[in-house]
Amino acid sequence: MSRKNKQISGGSAKGNPSLAIILGATRSHPLLSLGILVTVVGAVIASLLPPLVLADLIDRLTARRAVSFALVLAWFGLIALTGVLEAARESLLCIYGQTITHALRSGLCMKLTSLPAGTLTEMDPGALASRFVLDADTVEELFTSGIISMFADACQIISIFAVLFIRNRGLALLLLAVLPLIFLFTRHVQRRTLASQLDNRKALARVTNFVPETIHNIRTIHALGKERYMRRRYNSAILDSFRAIERTNFYDSIYSPVVLVTQAAVVAAVMLLAASGNAGIRSFFGMSVGTSVAVIAYISQIFSPIESIGMEIQTIQEAVAGVQRINEFLRLEERPAALMDGEAAAGHTAKDTKTDGESAGQTPQGADAVGEAAFSVPEESGYLTDKASHGTAIEFRDVSFGYKNGDSVLKNLSFSIPRGGHYTLIGRTGAGKSTIFKLLLGLYTPDSGQVLIFGENANLVPDSSRRALFGCVEQTFHPVPGTVLDQITLRDGRISESQAELAAETVGLAETIRSLPQGFQTECMEALFSHGQWQLLSIARAIASDPEILLLDEITANLDADTEKTVLTALGRASRGRTVLAISHRLYGNADTSAQASDGLQLVRSPL
Amino acid sequence: MNKTKHAASPLTPIAEPQKISSYFRAEWRSLAIVTVTGLIYNIGLIAGPWFEGQMAQCLENIFKGRAGFPDMARLVALYVTVIAAVQLARSLKRLYVRRFANATGRRMKEILYANLIHKSSAELRDADVGSVMTKAVSDVDACAEGMRKFTTEIFDTGVALAAYCVMLLFYDWRLALLCLIFPPVSYVIAGKMKSLVQRTGAAARESAGRLNAATLDRAGNAVTYRISGCEAGRDRDYEKHLRDYEKTSVRAEIWVSAMPPLYQVVSMASGLFILYFGSRNVLHTGWTAWNLAAFTTFLSCYTKLAVKSSHAAKLFNAVQKAQVSWKRIKGLMQPVQAEAAPVVQDPAELVVTGLADPRFGSVSFTAGPGQIIGVTGPVASGKSSFGRAFLCEEPYEGSITFAGAELKSMSPQVLSGIVGYLGHDTELMSDTIRSNVLMGDESVAADAPDIRSDCLTDDGTGLQQMLAAVCLDREVAEMPAVTETRVGTGGVLLSGGQQQRLALARTLAHRRPVLILDDPFSALDKETERTVFRNLREIARDSIVILISHRLYLFPETDQVIWMEDGRSVVQTHEQMLKEIPHYRELFALQEEGDTNEQKK
Repeated sequence: MSRKNKQISGGSAKGNPSLAIILGATRSHPLLSLGILVTVVGAVIASLLPPLVLADLIDRLTARRAVSFALVLAWFGLIALTGVLEAARESLLCIYGQTITHALRSGLCMKLTSLPAGTLTEMDPGALASRFVLDADTVEELFTSGIISMFADACQIISIFAVLFIRNRGLALLLLAVLPLIFLFTRHVQRRTLASQLDNRKALARVTNFVPETIHNIRTIHALGKERYMRRRYNSAILDSFRAIERTNFYDSIYSPVVLVTQAAVVAAVMLLAASGNAGIRSFFGMSVGTSVAVIAYISQIFSPIESIGMEIQTIQEAVAGVQRINEFLRLEERPAALMDGEAAAGHTAKDTKTDGESAGQTPQGADAVGEAAFSVPEESGYLTDKASHGTAIEFRDVSFGYKNGDSVLKNLSFSIPRGGHYTLIGRTGAGKSTIFKLLLGLYTPDSGQVLIFGENANLVPDSSRRALFGCVEQTFHPVPGTVLDQITLRDGRISESQAELAAETVGLAETIRSLPQGFQTECMEALFSHGQWQLLSIARAIASDPEILLLDEITANLDADTEKTVLTALGRASRGRTVLAISHRLYGNADTSAQASDGLQLVRSPL
Repeated sequence: MNKTKHAASPLTPIAEPQKISSYFRAEWRSLAIVTVTGLIYNIGLIAGPWFEGQMAQCLENIFKGRAGFPDMARLVALYVTVIAAVQLARSLKRLYVRRFANATGRRMKEILYANLIHKSSAELRDADVGSVMTKAVSDVDACAEGMRKFTTEIFDTGVALAAYCVMLLFYDWRLALLCLIFPPVSYVIAGKMKSLVQRTGAAARESAGRLNAATLDRAGNAVTYRISGCEAGRDRDYEKHLRDYEKTSVRAEIWVSAMPPLYQVVSMASGLFILYFGSRNVLHTGWTAWNLAAFTTFLSCYTKLAVKSSHAAKLFNAVQKAQVSWKRIKGLMQPVQAEAAPVVQDPAELVVTGLADPRFGSVSFTAGPGQIIGVTGPVASGKSSFGRAFLCEEPYEGSITFAGAELKSMSPQVLSGIVGYLGHDTELMSDTIRSNVLMGDESVAADAPDIRSDCLTDDGTGLQQMLAAVCLDREVAEMPAVTETRVGTGGVLLSGGQQQRLALARTLAHRRPVLILDDPFSALDKETERTVFRNLREIARDSIVILISHRLYLFPETDQVIWMEDGRSVVQTHEQMLKEIPHYRELFALQEEGDTNEQKK
């Protein structure tokens, strides 16, 4: 395991992790990749053929020969083939795009599990979610509408050139002179358009914020009589957007007409040269009437990929930022894989093999099986078996700790709590109370000293054992999407429905829940419970797994006296037979003996 | 092209903003240009195929010695000129139809905002109205876009298709009728597919919604799952969502992206007739006698028609979407008058008689200019409702008169010249410090000579004095852009205390004869609070200040105190209050004690 570990951190720190994920997904679908290649190239070639058939047909007509129905059918057959190949290409690209997105999101999710808690808390969930949703989409676009489409367009240009070079060398050379100019013009217009689109987006961000802000501040606006002022500000904001759009519109309006006029000029030049009396020039542009019709068709075919390539360059440029953001996230330092259970460790193996190029871990059943297997034997570690014999539940031995970028929070803190004891840590804000919990839960490692849970290092407790060991009542309840039952179980398969109901029973919330329209299966909503009831639900969640240790974080802050009483009663029942450590800036329950734990922190025995 | 000039000119107000035709009428100039250039362009479109045919024919003639180089030169010159003229018309048409949409969107947004700004706070607090208003901006965009597409497609699809059809019929009506069978066939297939596209699209959107919720849950509750050891389970669940999303979106996207090339193939099936019967025409064995030019033109014309007609479906979608959006915002588009700035009234007496509310009972008192009335009481005793009564957001019971006139029967405009208000919520704008204090009013006067900032420059407005009065000048002077520093949405870039003082500076800059301050000092330390209070006294020396607070140490300096408790209110001086209300005395003593403690530290 440790050997693998090294490989992982080595693999994810270097190189381009999102590219590795995409390549892995591509390799695991060889047929799909082959199909894309075949249809991309096939569509390009097929689209070249109908004008050639047409040229032949017209030449026959010029020679007054009859046209066979087979030739007509061949022409249509080739058009149909082009259409079918294009449709197939689009379908395969869409499947491929979704495969990439899926692989990227799976990779991001696995990464989340392997991040240390410190990194998790520092991250803004909104930004994180947008990395999952938006940035993954951008990367997908980079591949489908960026690189692959660009390849297809380049193929088309090159093959038209090849045909023209054989059929009409003069035109090929003429185009070789004109196309770079058109390309430069295209890029110029696209860059200008993008610049004004960005201006517009900025102006729009202002406008978008304006309406909710006005609604929020309406009282001040009315009281101060600022209606006119606000309207003026709003109008100036939308005027900015109006002007930016006008600029975009200008370029939008001239681009395609300019290209089409150029196209007409090229056609004109070819016709003129072909008709020229000079035999040399004529042979250089030598063509029959049929070829002239085919040439007109090719000229119109060669200009549109130029425009597309410009757009694709833009897509790629824009997507680079998204790829960088994802790579930044994927390169974040990871915690030791030994702590992660089933899925994440399996994910790691998958990622490993992916970089090795064998399998992309995209076989869902396989991944499931590994996860399930690991999940069914979560508690093989010694924590729960020898804990009974250990008299001290929690022990801090000379612990010092400071966050990465800050002063030290704890200095040489020592205390211990016997098994079954009920204690409260009291101290001001900033004295390090929450930090103590984080160390206990193994989310952080102390700078020096030891944090012991039943005599073993707290940060060596594997994820899968944690819930059986700790129940943590957080200061604010974090609802999860799902039913009321899900709030208690956290959709954890190891907790049965009856265990969850028992937990609800213990905190005195079972009756309330049963009286809901669908009882425990009611979809959870904000309005279902009062503030105090949410707190009770939080306790039920903490004790559902019948943990040895109960951690309480400022649970009676923001509660009125009556509710506080209810919550304390529930806590009394919930903490029976458990070791309890609470943190608070004041004392609740009954104080008993107290001891100074460290500067500003007091450890008080407080039987509940 | 004087684009900027056009853009900067103010929009002419329109009479009936709730009628969609008004917007077309308001932009009649742009639309007139669009009509002329649109007709030129779309009729001119058939010139392309015609010339292509003529050139091919001319080439044949030259090869056969029936024509010479000058013939081709003339033809080619004409071709380029006509194409250039047609494309010029096209670019003007594009420009003006977009300008029409852009201006319409801007106009609609202005009207919408003007309507919003006059809605009462009670109306806006209704969640539905609020969210409709927030969504309305994107609805306006959808409307303008729909109107643009409609206008464009009238020409591009309607006129162009008609022109092509006429041209085809002219060359060979039998063959034309035969060819025109297939485009409708592809319409019918597209129509049949539409419900499938919508169904799979809806399924994909639902799945995307579920996936987004799961993403937010997984990312947002990551720590909760970590401490409960539930991450593995969540990852498996997330994988399920991913799989579902992949499946549904592939299903939805395939219909959207794979079908258009196939529709095109169906339309192009007519090519079979054109090539077969057309070549017979050329060989003079068909329905009509054609030359090669006619053959080429006919084929090229039909190909363009097939491409154009495949866009027609888009038109219907855009118009349908615009209609839905318009329905949502129509009710919000009422005519609005330009509003005048509030006229600040002269100081006068405020008389409150029997102002009643179940939470604080009934309150009566009289106050003159320069007086400060302290209002206090336990949590939820109705202090804030009392303060808000002066805003007349909802009709109050009893009477409040200023200079003898009843507040609730005043127009909002007159009222805003009398009552100034600062609530719990500082309601700062996401703008600069300067704009937040002055709010566009450059004439705020610095008329308290004793209060001056020694670290901010005097810019001729009362800005520096107001910031000095609330003890914010020093902090502002140290900010990167001084008074031009942006404070972020709702002032998030400032600390709570800074936000509160900035809002107070704004209130002082907009002095009114009656100032209601609801807990304006709660985030300040006592020393600052005392200084700010002293400055407030000085600057608002002609105003009546109603100071709502649950901190009492400034109350000895008030002229009257209103005590609210258990649905009753008492109005007395601070000294009497100490004697007669035991709870008040207790609170005051407790806070004084805390005060001395804090000073000891």
